Amino acid sequence: MDHFPLSWGRPRNDAVDAYGTFPIQQRPNHGQDTFSSGIQHTQQPIVTGTSVLAIKFKDGIMMAADNLASYGSLARFRDIKRLHAVGEHTVIGAGGDMGDFQYIQSIMDELMIDEFAAQDGHALGPAEVHNYLSELMYARRSKMDPLWNAILVGGFKDGQRFLAFVDLLGTTYSASTLATGYGAHIAQPLLRRAVEGREDTLDAAEAEKIIEQSMQVLFYRDARSLDKYQIATITAEGVKISESRKLETSWSFAEGIRGYGAQTQ
Amino acid sequence: MNSLVDRFSTTSAQSEIRRAQALAADDEEFSDAAWGSEAGFGSLAKGVPTFSVPSIADPSAFLRLHTDDHADPNCRIKIQHGTTTLAFRFKGGVIVAVDSRATAGSYIASGTVKKVIEINPYLLGTMAGGAADCQYWETYLGIHCRLHELRNRERISVSAASKYLSNLVYGYKGMGLSMGTMICGWDKTRCRVPAVFYVDSDGTRLKGDLFSVGSGSTHAYVSTAAGHRDAFSGNTCNLYHIKEDGWHFIGNYDISKMHYDGPGDVPGGPGKGYGYDIRVEGRSSANPPPVAT
Amino acid sequence: MQHVAVPHAQPQQRQFNPYSENGGTILAIAGANFSVIAGDTRQSEGYSIQTRYAPKVFRLTDKAVLATNGFAADGNMFVKKVRQRLEWYRHAHAKDMPLRAIARLIQTMLYARRFFPYYVYNILGGIEEDGSGAVYSFDPVGSYEREACRAAGAASSLVQPFLDNQIYFKNQTPAPGTTHPAHLPLSHVLSLVIDSFTSATERHIEVGDGLEIYVVLAKGSALQGLDAIQGLSELTTTDDGERMFVIRRNLKRD
Repeated sequence: MDHFPLSWGRPRNDAVDAYGTFPIQQRPNHGQDTFSSGIQHTQQPIVTGTSVLAIKFKDGIMMAADNLASYGSLARFRDIKRLHAVGEHTVIGAGGDMGDFQYIQSIMDELMIDEFAAQDGHALGPAEVHNYLSELMYARRSKMDPLWNAILVGGFKDGQRFLAFVDLLGTTYSASTLATGYGAHIAQPLLRRAVEGREDTLDAAEAEKIIEQSMQVLFYRDARSLDKYQIATITAEGVKISESRKLETSWSFAEGIRGYGAQTQ
Repeated sequence: MNSLVDRFSTTSAQSEIRRAQALAADDEEFSDAAWGSEAGFGSLAKGVPTFSVPSIADPSAFLRLHTDDHADPNCRIKIQHGTTTLAFRFKGGVIVAVDSRATAGSYIASGTVKKVIEINPYLLGTMAGGAADCQYWETYLGIHCRLHELRNRERISVSAASKYLSNLVYGYKGMGLSMGTMICGWDKTRCRVPAVFYVDSDGTRLKGDLFSVGSGSTHAYVSTAAGHRDAFSGNTCNLYHIKEDGWHFIGNYDISKMHYDGPGDVPGGPGKGYGYDIRVEGRSSANPPPVAT
Repeated sequence: MQHVAVPHAQPQQRQFNPYSENGGTILAIAGANFSVIAGDTRQSEGYSIQTRYAPKVFRLTDKAVLATNGFAADGNMFVKKVRQRLEWYRHAHAKDMPLRAIARLIQTMLYARRFFPYYVYNILGGIEEDGSGAVYSFDPVGSYEREACRAAGAASSLVQPFLDNQIYFKNQTPAPGTTHPAHLPLSHVLSLVIDSFTSATERHIEVGDGLEIYVVLAKGSALQGLDAIQGLSELTTTDDGERMFVIRRNLKRD
């Protein structure tokens, strides 16, 4: 079913061709919108990771992603790491194709080695890493050979927090709360309500609580997610990526649900 | 010999640069643009400017999917199109008349477009089809007309200029350019006559006395009806007259006003328009026939 | 004759759409000795708001401002390239590129991608060398025109008719014995811009969050009441040249 209300009960897409003068039957591919079906709103490729979440808080950035890499609907790899430290000040987290993400990790590692070898007294900060990634992603989309990822870049350098997004098309943006993939629809509203306007007062414990709750909601609703996840914290002290931790979930309410699946009464 | 060695060696400075360029992997020219003076036409020594093309099996199908369709809402990238243009030759030179509407899909993107492109003081080109295609290539033609003058110490003929353009766009045939243009001027050197050539993106080039190009052209062959009858034409009309000393801008006229009120007191004109009141004159009590005096 | 630099790589992707659409609207109006260039700051894809603050209006030189709209990645990358070219020009000629030359530069840069277009609608505003305010508008492949006003983007079909009526006085008859003014005063233009965006925010889901209005004043012209506007900050870098201001306002966030 088409979930977009604008196309309910309408013969054609008036949202775009607002003054359409040509008869509908003469249009090629009428009825379906090839443009928007060509856009990958979520991920399609082979081994995929789902959402990444990140927020700003008082001392820096907090980011989270679960440990699952799916193979279609199969929960194939349950111990994959989707948060990766780049240098001393930056963490990148990715959804989408895990093969492409591991390739990006190797590029970033190589880049940091080159930067280290230069010994010029400059270290790449999160803003530089993000700009590098956006150029890389845009160049690959322009070759029609994209790296199929949506990446969050979070960091803290010279007293400045940094949090930004880049995806397979090279689209970039930054905000005080970000989420990729399914999380953009489910977790982002929760994060915005919890964080917006409180970026400078939230402490690490509160931030962790917010992230944890959002991961929990995602695990309840996102069929490609896992209850095992990691949290990265980037502050003036540097990067800290936690060990994998388990979400506390409660399924006791499921017993009370009637009307779905096999039930005797 | 050195250049040959350089070309195939893998250790020379050139190959280093080649490798760096391949790494940068950006097709856009760095070299001359760095000096900032050229506007992007590139150094003319290189000949024709280069274009980046998506690396897929059928680039023109890609272009067709995303652009250039009036009706298909799937094509998000609406390119501006121009429509009705006409030009004819007569004893006193050439008259060029164009409308001023540009459409992007069915949206009227502009009602003030200059569809006559002033290539130089004695050559005019008209714009029908893709607005950018016409603007860009006729500007480019202007560069080459000037180069012709510098090389040959005489003005380029209308025939040669139009042939230059037609050969140029023929090189891109099938890739999605769309232009229908008339190159108009007055030859100074050889034949000393006004000339009009029709050139289009298929590579057609025709010499003639009278042409009309665009979706309103069939109406234009008849009369200002084009602006009234064709949805893709309208707004105002720009009029040019090419005489022996080059082109002159005659004026800009409102098409609707002309249609309903007539061209005014012009010698040879009807003096009135085609409005409702005029058409129903004498056919209703509200609009009785003029009383004979 | 090889006109086209066809990449030697083999066809690589089957079903990949390199474009997206990120909503928003931009608008520019030229006056006698000023130019106003504005854009909202929402960036969206489909029904998701990606961020509430992503600038679409960029200062290029002391007297030129470029607004981009369409696919954000193309837009940002295009602005980056234009700025690079302007910097090269500065290094070669020790001055800023004049506005009409920037307009032609943008045409050729857009047209270089005729067969793989930037999905970007550009509006360039600023001050010409003769001190007049100017607006140039472009289509995605580089056809351009100097105009008095132009709206582009998601709500262009809402805003442009309003401007046609209020700036070009389309379908308005002047009161007997009077004529329509050729140029509007700055304060009037600013209120038209603000009204355009608040109205577009009401009626288009992709417009909202924030409004950024750049104002460029020609050399030596008075502030014309600009100092009374709230949310104003000055960006001018020189003492004797054009003056540039930016006005930041909130729009509705729903």
